[in-house]
Amino acid sequence: MRCHEARLLFTVLWDDEITQAEKEGIEGHFASCPSCRREYDEYARALELVAALPRVETSADMVEATLARARRSSTAPDHVTERPAWVPATAAAALLIVVAALVTHWTGVGPGPWVDRPVASLPATPPATTTPVATAPAPASATKAPASGPVATAADSLFDPNQDVEFVLDPVTLRRGRASVMQTLPAGVQAERAVISF
Amino acid sequence: MARVAEDEERAFAELVRRYQGRVTNLICRVLNDRESADDLAQEVFVRVFTHRRNYRRGARLSTWVFTIAVNLAKNEIRRRVRRRNWFSLDALQEVLKDSTLIFADKTEGRDRSLEREQVQEAVAKAIESVPDKYRLALVLRDIEGLAYEEIAVVLGVPGGTVRSRINRARGILKKKLQPYIRQEGMP
Repeated sequence: MRCHEARLLFTVLWDDEITQAEKEGIEGHFASCPSCRREYDEYARALELVAALPRVETSADMVEATLARARRSSTAPDHVTERPAWVPATAAAALLIVVAALVTHWTGVGPGPWVDRPVASLPATPPATTTPVATAPAPASATKAPASGPVATAADSLFDPNQDVEFVLDPVTLRRGRASVMQTLPAGVQAERAVISF
Repeated sequence: MARVAEDEERAFAELVRRYQGRVTNLICRVLNDRESADDLAQEVFVRVFTHRRNYRRGARLSTWVFTIAVNLAKNEIRRRVRRRNWFSLDALQEVLKDSTLIFADKTEGRDRSLEREQVQEAVAKAIESVPDKYRLALVLRDIEGLAYEEIAVVLGVPGGTVRSRINRARGILKKKLQPYIRQEGMP
């Protein structure tokens, strides 16, 4: 048996879980190797010191104190989640901001002076998109215009509130309460008016 | 345990009385903190009481109680490490350095007749300096005397892992305690 093999057996030797063959092998090795013998003696002595540590004495009122604590815990809920005071306030504030943002978006009302917007840089002349929308869709290139251009800034509001907006309706006819598209338009009609008949 | 599960208070008191010493000792040796040991041991039994209906009949009661104790001890170790890290990252290193210094000073072996209490304190500190996962296995085996199979159940690791951890822990411990062993008259 070599030193390396012998030292691997220290644990099982100490735990007395060693086989008879291993035991004979290691004892034979110890007889010829004082270094391993000393190593094992130190190993055993260290573990003896650990085992010799005095047992901790429990306090006299341990049972009573534990019973009282167990009684308290059985009346209290298993898990009490303590929520910090700032959580509801922060959640309410966040909800308020979200609601305000949605309302602003739906109503089209500007968010107010506290929002930094590029409106102030709008040119005095109304943008081209205030002309009839349905008949004159904005060219695709308009969306790619630089932010400082009139078309791009008009994206904030499609209509100029200072001008009348002219809507163009598809030519429809209402018959028996239902709308239907007129297939043939009278000569000269350029689909600028709805024809409603009852 | 069956009587404890049926809310019999006297049975629970008996259970506490039977295991309080081993549980307190285990926690004390793992944490090397006598003052916290009582409190944590009480908490172990409160957990036993709270979860008494989860106990599987047929399982060893001691294994179950030790599993709870080990888990609470692990939590406490984590909490302490976090707290040390919170105050100062260097604090832990300082603590480790200090304990190394204590051993280094005594390696000189000026006084061969060390008082027993001093040796015990050194042994406790040496155990404390073993990394957590090895230390738990070591305490369960070499102080509480649990079988390897039981330790495997308590720690939730395979038996081979338990053996290797204990082997590693003993090796570390032997190195740490070498000065004391030599002083005690070893060649």
